[in-house]
Amino acid sequence: MKRKLVALLLAATMVLSVAACGKEKEAASTTPTPKASSSNTSSSSNTETAKATPTPDPSNGELVNGKFVNTRKITVEVYDRDSKTPADNNVWTDWIKEQMLQKYNVEVSFRAVPRWTEGDQINNLLAAGDAPDICYTYSYPTIQAYANMGGVLDLNPLLAQYKPLLTNLWDWLGDENIYYDQDPKTGTVWAIEGRRNNTYRINTFVRQDWLDKLGMKAPTTTDEFEKMLIAFKDNASTLLGKDAAQMVPFLLTQDVGWTAAPIIESFMDPDITDKELYINGFDDRKFTENGTKEAVKLLNKWYNNGLIWKDFSLHASGDSTGDDMCKAGYVGAFIQNYDYPFRNNEESINALLAKNVDPKAKFVAINCFTDKNGNYTHFSYSAAGDRKSFLPATNTEPLASLLYLDFISSPEVVEYLQIGIEGINHEKLEGGVIKISGVSDENVKYNQNSGQNIDITMTCNGLRLSSDELTRKSLAYGYSGVDVNDVANAMAVAEKDAVLPKNVNVGEIAAEAEGTDLTGKRDATFNQAVVCKPADFDKTWDDGMKTYLNAGGQAIKDEREAAWNANFGSKTMIGQ
Amino acid sequence: MENNREITASVKKRSPWSKFLIYMKRYWQLYAMLLLPIIYLLVFKYQPMKYILIAFKEYKLNTKLWDMPWANTAGKLDVFKYFKKAMNTDFYNALRNNVTLNLLDLFFGFPAPVIFALILNELPFKRFKKTVQTIAYMPHFLSWVIIYGLSVQLFAAGSGLVNQVVSLMGREPIPFLNEPNHWIATYIFMGIWQSFGWGSIIYLAAIAGINPELYEAASVDGAGRFSKMWHVTLPGIKSTIVVLLIMNLGGIVGGAFDRIYAMQNPLVLDVAETIATFVYKNGVKQLKFSLSTAVGLFQSVVGLFFLLSANALSRRLGERGIW
Repeated sequence: MKRKLVALLLAATMVLSVAACGKEKEAASTTPTPKASSSNTSSSSNTETAKATPTPDPSNGELVNGKFVNTRKITVEVYDRDSKTPADNNVWTDWIKEQMLQKYNVEVSFRAVPRWTEGDQINNLLAAGDAPDICYTYSYPTIQAYANMGGVLDLNPLLAQYKPLLTNLWDWLGDENIYYDQDPKTGTVWAIEGRRNNTYRINTFVRQDWLDKLGMKAPTTTDEFEKMLIAFKDNASTLLGKDAAQMVPFLLTQDVGWTAAPIIESFMDPDITDKELYINGFDDRKFTENGTKEAVKLLNKWYNNGLIWKDFSLHASGDSTGDDMCKAGYVGAFIQNYDYPFRNNEESINALLAKNVDPKAKFVAINCFTDKNGNYTHFSYSAAGDRKSFLPATNTEPLASLLYLDFISSPEVVEYLQIGIEGINHEKLEGGVIKISGVSDENVKYNQNSGQNIDITMTCNGLRLSSDELTRKSLAYGYSGVDVNDVANAMAVAEKDAVLPKNVNVGEIAAEAEGTDLTGKRDATFNQAVVCKPADFDKTWDDGMKTYLNAGGQAIKDEREAAWNANFGSKTMIGQ
Repeated sequence: MENNREITASVKKRSPWSKFLIYMKRYWQLYAMLLLPIIYLLVFKYQPMKYILIAFKEYKLNTKLWDMPWANTAGKLDVFKYFKKAMNTDFYNALRNNVTLNLLDLFFGFPAPVIFALILNELPFKRFKKTVQTIAYMPHFLSWVIIYGLSVQLFAAGSGLVNQVVSLMGREPIPFLNEPNHWIATYIFMGIWQSFGWGSIIYLAAIAGINPELYEAASVDGAGRFSKMWHVTLPGIKSTIVVLLIMNLGGIVGGAFDRIYAMQNPLVLDVAETIATFVYKNGVKQLKFSLSTAVGLFQSVVGLFFLLSANALSRRLGERGIW
């Protein structure tokens, strides 16, 4: 009898647990649908939107004294960079929650999305109907793809309706960034472009102390850079002692197009037309540009002469092996974001080098890759064209979301989030200059998950203080644990001969959503062409390029060219 | 007496329904237990099958399956659009790699656990046998990301342990992970290393089921160790081997995602892209669910074909097959 009872009980629990699972699953799959149905139609076409906007009352009856009567709830995406505090729940996010509740009666919650796999993650969230109400990403084609599938709200009518309420947003971004991605034919606005407050992009870094030890001057031409790498390699035992075998004169990564960008850009024709730049501009690693093959050929030579990290192809992006090697002092030169060795304050590459290897050890930025005119032509970021914020179609609180974007763009909020609290995150120097300091161990909860909280201030990338003058002065003080002069130098280097990209908006290029794994093919060709035997280089590169173009690259180029011709006729430069 | 006869008669006359009830009354606990896997299958394996339709439709976000429009090119109905789209050079490449890698896996990897089980079975020291077994199982519990990490530490051309030894001996480093053919060998080797121990469990169980009298009889007939292994043990586990072989053949166009995705790198992509990673990169990652589903459906149909033919073959060879 007892046994029977136990069996019955067991069976019952099993059945119940299964039923519970089933219910949960059902709930997850059905909840988004009703939400979606109300807003879905609004994104499908421009003409329909006006009818379907949530408030038929254009006089903003939703707000009473600038506040919602009933508390609204929104979720906001935030990148997770695996920092010391949780990205979606820390002092700064708590402060925002408190402010938003007080100011607009909007309850904000954050959703952490891993920085290096953000695209995949947002895909999944959107497909599950579970995306945050406010999302951002660096890739516009991705947003366009979502929009084509009915996954994004058209902001155009919303912006027109609520503009009077969004003064901070407009002051900061202006029509230029807000309507940057507006489709010239349909007028839809799928996303708002964030703004970069400084446009420094990429730098070449070399070990100053190694140069000093070998009695060499910093290289000023591509040839001198190569000579320097050879000197590093030949003097490995002087520079590294018993670790000589670890010597890596030049650190490349799997993302060749990025960690060799200034080299590639120096091989491009400095007089390239806007038209050609635009046609090839769909790939931000400049794979199909006219000089890229020659640049990679040089890398191939270096690789086969033992000047480049042997195992660079084996470590995927986001893998910290390369950084760790820099920090351990094995690396002579590398190319990365303009402030890369200074990032993360006391845990930055330069700070750790000085601490672990030699107080004099450090990376400094140099310009040395000369184009055919002898200039250091390289591309900077454009002030627009940074992170793009968009509202998924499942968003039922467009007004609250836009108010959030307005709030996060207001100067005081940005300043507070960027520089934090005096005495904890920064100190004031003479003339009000802000010097950022890393948080001490007892104040670790004030840690900023991304440098100056850039991932939270989604419409603003780069330091932005109350006055431009102060911002400029404080920029170099934005990193603690490293020499201010090195940072100032890195900015000057990044600025020299930098080319600002121009915005060419000719509407959607449908082929960009079609290619079969173009970035994968690009990176495969980049990697294979660097590693192959010099005799095989031409074949490796040409075959790879052919595959790439056949897999959809050529179709994009053709469509872009046609779109250019349709918009600009025979002109080859913008603003002629 | 009369009464009794009546009862037996009524039992005999009982309808199938009441027979069923009596049967159920006796065994209902067993069926209650069976309910769980059945519900599992229904919820997670059968119910999702309706989404196969996505392969023939235009996938839309936030839309019910039934409301998605049928696949079309510029408004013209074209239900096989995504099949045509998917079957490009890349797909055929991936298919070729998929079959090649799986066949190599089968050829080198399939005998490994059988041999291992046979060797283990011959070990006379119980404790030693247990230890070896446990150690051999361990890699099975490692994720492929970790195994890839291990193989980089061991086999990388620059910093890998093996290649440092090779360099010390004054030879050129071996491109275990950089060069396509070497990479394939490394890939297969790591696969065998990860799974041979775990795979041997089922064979050891089968060996344990062999009647010991057979061995005694063989000894009496003068059979040595190898003859016993060959004439008693192997035939004893033959049916297990065949069943596993059929199941492996069924998966020849399938294959796990994590192993290949973790192990591949841009240098060897030409031989390392399989259908699983092709679908991930061109479908899932780009939110092209219609295309992913089309490829998945194709994969299943071909897999089914292999499974059925392997099964038919084994029956023809006198084995029982799976069904």
